[in-house]
Amino acid sequence: MPRFENVGLYDGLFVMQDDETRTLWNHITGEALYGPHVGRTLGPMGNMLQMSAAQALAGDQAIQVAISNWPYIAGGRRRGAADGRAAVSTLGDRFGPENPNARLTPAFVDTLGTEDARLPRMTMGLGIVTDATTRFYATESIHERGALIDDLDGRQILVFVDRTTFTPAAVFVNASSATLDRRDVRLDTGGVVRDGLLYDADGTRADVDRPQQFFTRWYGFALTFPDPEIFGR
Amino acid sequence: MTAVPRFRTAVLLMVVTAAVASPSVATAQPGSLPVDLPDGPAKDGFDLTRFSTVGNGVFETFHVERTEPLAIALQDGRVTGDTRVLVIQTAAGPLAFLRDQMVFHHIAQGRAADRDWMATF
Repeated sequence: MPRFENVGLYDGLFVMQDDETRTLWNHITGEALYGPHVGRTLGPMGNMLQMSAAQALAGDQAIQVAISNWPYIAGGRRRGAADGRAAVSTLGDRFGPENPNARLTPAFVDTLGTEDARLPRMTMGLGIVTDATTRFYATESIHERGALIDDLDGRQILVFVDRTTFTPAAVFVNASSATLDRRDVRLDTGGVVRDGLLYDADGTRADVDRPQQFFTRWYGFALTFPDPEIFGR
Repeated sequence: MTAVPRFRTAVLLMVVTAAVASPSVATAQPGSLPVDLPDGPAKDGFDLTRFSTVGNGVFETFHVERTEPLAIALQDGRVTGDTRVLVIQTAAGPLAFLRDQMVFHHIAQGRAADRDWMATF
């Protein structure tokens, strides 16, 4: 596999380049944007889920971890072999979707295409993509309802905000309503979602099936997947 | 043309890049390295004039050559229960990254069970 690096911005989002043909690639969809590989797509896409290490281990005791030498903080201690630019590790908190006050600087704005003005640019939310549907759930809309059940291409999905990571997430369920009960999401079937894991009414762990989803800001989602549905409108 | 093998992308769209922003769009932004571009072609609708080199050379892709059980990293204290991780599914099973490291790397790539994978953040 060729090696990929982030080489710049387009639509306010990172753009990758491979080291063999110098083709520019969309890092979300995997589509070639400019260069010899235009017409090709890396993939298929998969989900990248945010959770705590404890949640990850609860989900699968055999889960592996890849730790680089870049500095990070764990248990209040700085770790990692590299030195110097450790301040970069705070960027996720400062500019990530968790921060409602983040703003795009002019250098980012200059790369934007025609924006979808139905929502404010920096609105945080969960974007869901299937072959037939692209839909955006603003985090605020999810918070207002606590948890919600919606139809996605004829299947029911539960959309909720994980109480550990405070990130929105979606899983397929067989339920018609859901309520938030402290840290748990309770389904009308008796099932429960606890720490990101799905349990049947009898307490048995159930397999979790998730649609393709992105924790994202509105501008990036709408520029990448034009004219998406907006939940609640 | 060199073929790009098909591989799984596990992608999460998240904007964390404003800290490296420079004031204007140009082929080579201040503080960023120039980008060696091919002569095209462009995908329909792609406007090369809106491409900016902001951030080029700032971040380093994480080329993963070794993984270990998360349980071991927790056991010896290099990771704690509340450490935020990003989890993808590879052909060999689930794989976690430390979010604070991926904020820097943005891209991780590797191979598991004879299949290439890529994670972007």
